[in-house]
Amino acid sequence: MRNSRVQLASRGFLLVMALGWVAIALASLEYFEPDSVAPFVVERLPVRFESLWLGALQWHVASAIVTFPLCLVLGTPWLQRRPAWHRSLGRVAGALVVAVLVPSGIVLSFEAKGGALVTVGFFLSAAVVLVAMVSGVASARRRDFLAHKRHMLHVTAQMSVAVTSRGLLRGFDMAGLEPEVAYTVALWIPVVASALAAEWLAGRRVFPSFAFTPPVPRSLP
Amino acid sequence: MTRSSSSFVVAFTFTFTLAVAAAAAAAAAPSLEAWAKARIQANLVQPLAKKEESRSRFSRAAPPPTERRVRVLASTLSRDAKGRGFLPYAIDARYGDDEWSETYVGCIYDKTGLLFVAVGDEHRPAEFLLGKQAEPVPGVCQVAPPAERS
Repeated sequence: MRNSRVQLASRGFLLVMALGWVAIALASLEYFEPDSVAPFVVERLPVRFESLWLGALQWHVASAIVTFPLCLVLGTPWLQRRPAWHRSLGRVAGALVVAVLVPSGIVLSFEAKGGALVTVGFFLSAAVVLVAMVSGVASARRRDFLAHKRHMLHVTAQMSVAVTSRGLLRGFDMAGLEPEVAYTVALWIPVVASALAAEWLAGRRVFPSFAFTPPVPRSLP
Repeated sequence: MTRSSSSFVVAFTFTFTLAVAAAAAAAAAPSLEAWAKARIQANLVQPLAKKEESRSRFSRAAPPPTERRVRVLASTLSRDAKGRGFLPYAIDARYGDDEWSETYVGCIYDKTGLLFVAVGDEHRPAEFLLGKQAEPVPGVCQVAPPAERS
């Protein structure tokens, strides 16, 4: 009963994240339209090092659009049962996250709207992703798959902030919360909650994955 | 009535009619401020609201405000370095029943009706706010000392 509830929740999470990813991907196309400026960019300009910032924004969006669904798919038992595919796609995701997503995110965080508190929030999220990804790859190479799963849960959880934070922003807008306050709160709540949720899931006796049919035992043979 | 007095009456009536017509025309013509306000409303505020309606709600951009208002900040033209006349304006926005806050400032040029908006220390054509790529235009919306005007 308890397991089926967890299974349902994880499937629901996967579905919400997939839908959120589609919405974000569609909304992000405007960043790549020639001769046009996206509303978010209009709002943010002027920034220091404008070309660097605009480049970082495009690279960040593009890499997030690729790596987020990759991380979701890599967490499913379907791909975990196919080690060769899991390894290859995992390498692509890991390389993109470490080389593109995190560095571009750090560049963007310095000009984040909402000021220093939001900058720190994005920076913290980027740090969690970087440390977890590097540790996750290292643990996979050591064949410590339990630690690998724990680290990758943290990576995916922080990536899910893109969806949950926008969902909260929408909710706060409907509730009439002041936009600047809403932006800060809608970042910090998902960043902290995602880290706690990942840690909580990692600490469960039956280790979960996203749709997990067969529970993964604590020690692998 | 003599010929000269009837000429006087005709001339007087003609002059009077002209004067009344001119006064009526002057009264009917919009003031510079009203013209600027209407132009900013039609060419910037309304298209901006229309664009925001079709925008994805799943964006990190700020949600559209509930209401915007235009303020023209002067009743007489200022002159830039090229001697072109302009009026400064501000656009305020508010969310729900919150206080109004100034969101954009810029200027509108007399005769051409060209609109510019301040982005940092520079001014770009107002189409920038509507999502069109528009580079900063040096010297616009800046009052030049009388000696510099050409």
